[in-house]
Amino acid sequence: MHSSPAMERLVAALKHLPGIGEKSATRLAYFLLGTSDSLLRELSDAIARLKTDTAVCEVCFNLGDRSPCPICSDPRRDTSMICVVEEPADLASVEQSGAFRGLYHVLGGTLSPIDGMGPEALRIEELVARVAAGGVQEVILATNPNAEGDATAHYIADQLEKTEARLSRIAYGMPLGGDLEYADHVTVGRSLENRRDIR
Amino acid sequence: MDRLVSEVILMRAVDFGESDRIVHLLSPEVGRLTVIAKGARRSIKRFPGTLDLFNHLRVAVNRRRPGSMAMLEQATLLEPFLGLRVQSARYALASYLLELMDRMAPEGAARPDAQRLFGFVLSALRTLEGATPNARLRVLLELRAFDALGLRPELARCVRCGERPQGRVAFHVADGGVICGAHAGERSEGTLPVHVGTLKVLQQGLEYDYSRLGRLAFGPQALAEARQLLFRFQRFHVGIELRSERFLDESLGWAGLTPEST
Repeated sequence: MHSSPAMERLVAALKHLPGIGEKSATRLAYFLLGTSDSLLRELSDAIARLKTDTAVCEVCFNLGDRSPCPICSDPRRDTSMICVVEEPADLASVEQSGAFRGLYHVLGGTLSPIDGMGPEALRIEELVARVAAGGVQEVILATNPNAEGDATAHYIADQLEKTEARLSRIAYGMPLGGDLEYADHVTVGRSLENRRDIR
Repeated sequence: MDRLVSEVILMRAVDFGESDRIVHLLSPEVGRLTVIAKGARRSIKRFPGTLDLFNHLRVAVNRRRPGSMAMLEQATLLEPFLGLRVQSARYALASYLLELMDRMAPEGAARPDAQRLFGFVLSALRTLEGATPNARLRVLLELRAFDALGLRPELARCVRCGERPQGRVAFHVADGGVICGAHAGERSEGTLPVHVGTLKVLQQGLEYDYSRLGRLAFGPQALAEARQLLFRFQRFHVGIELRSERFLDESLGWAGLTPEST
């Protein structure tokens, strides 16, 4: 039982957010009650405009303020390379690395039969069409290196079997700051397989 | 038993909160087991490379917290089954079998039942990792899965008189077994006509070692009959529609069955 109907309404709404239970929702609600009016206005305005001001790029399916997105419409990007990622957050990670100047394709998830996610739920057909349209020399499959991500990468590779573009997979191995002592034997084995000369 | 140390197969992992994962395991000690892996998504040291679908692990689980979910303390990778990821049909069939076990295997199972279920899953994944799955292998592994779950259809003897079936026979879906020619008059809407040869192949599928399953010879008619028989048996006795079924049908180039189509 909360102190006011307004609090109860806010707690009930916050509980719909992923990972937020009754306690976290109550804590957030009390924080918002005690915060400045300007922050509350900014927050409510941002939430209200989230959907209207967000567009899904018709080319790569990234999220942005317009379609095509700034990356797809940037003439300085290398249009011969497409990096395939699962979600927009993965695209942001690759962008942050600064190591890639090509275009992207956001699948919208991975193949996960147990969760009812088949190829029809992903933007695989759209990727095949983009590659078939020509001009693409390499497709980098940057789905996560887990069972679902690997299976999705191999499925896409099968779908792109007829293309002449190079198909590559992001490297497997030890993460920066990792510790060999704690790594699983598959990761250690793949790190050795994919080793590079240092001089 | 407050602390459980066991081999397990990871059947499903779901993100929980900002940093945890809820993991469904199959153990030869207790059957299906749901645990929470604290910090599994954030820490690169806590469970590195272990909490992934199909993984055969050795785990330590703390079950001392009354009223709350058991907690995963340690996980060591034994077999990653990487071969299941590189071919869609393998991935689809392995996912289908794990979903069946995840939905049907009992929690807190008696040890012999848990050992039978775990043995089936481990053998099935090992078989699939080296195979090129087709419709025949699917039928046989599905049959072995029902058997492991304690739902073995009676294929060798008539469920009415116990005699070995000969001539024109049928499979009674609700009774879960074959009806011989002498009791053919009892055939009703819930029966399927089936050849003795089909029953023989399925019987061999239950008896053969996993390494020989891929070599069992099926004609197209026997395959079609076996498929219908198992589909109807599954719908009646298991009673669930698996989410992975559609992708599996598509991966095997096999149009899906519906109750109407049978």
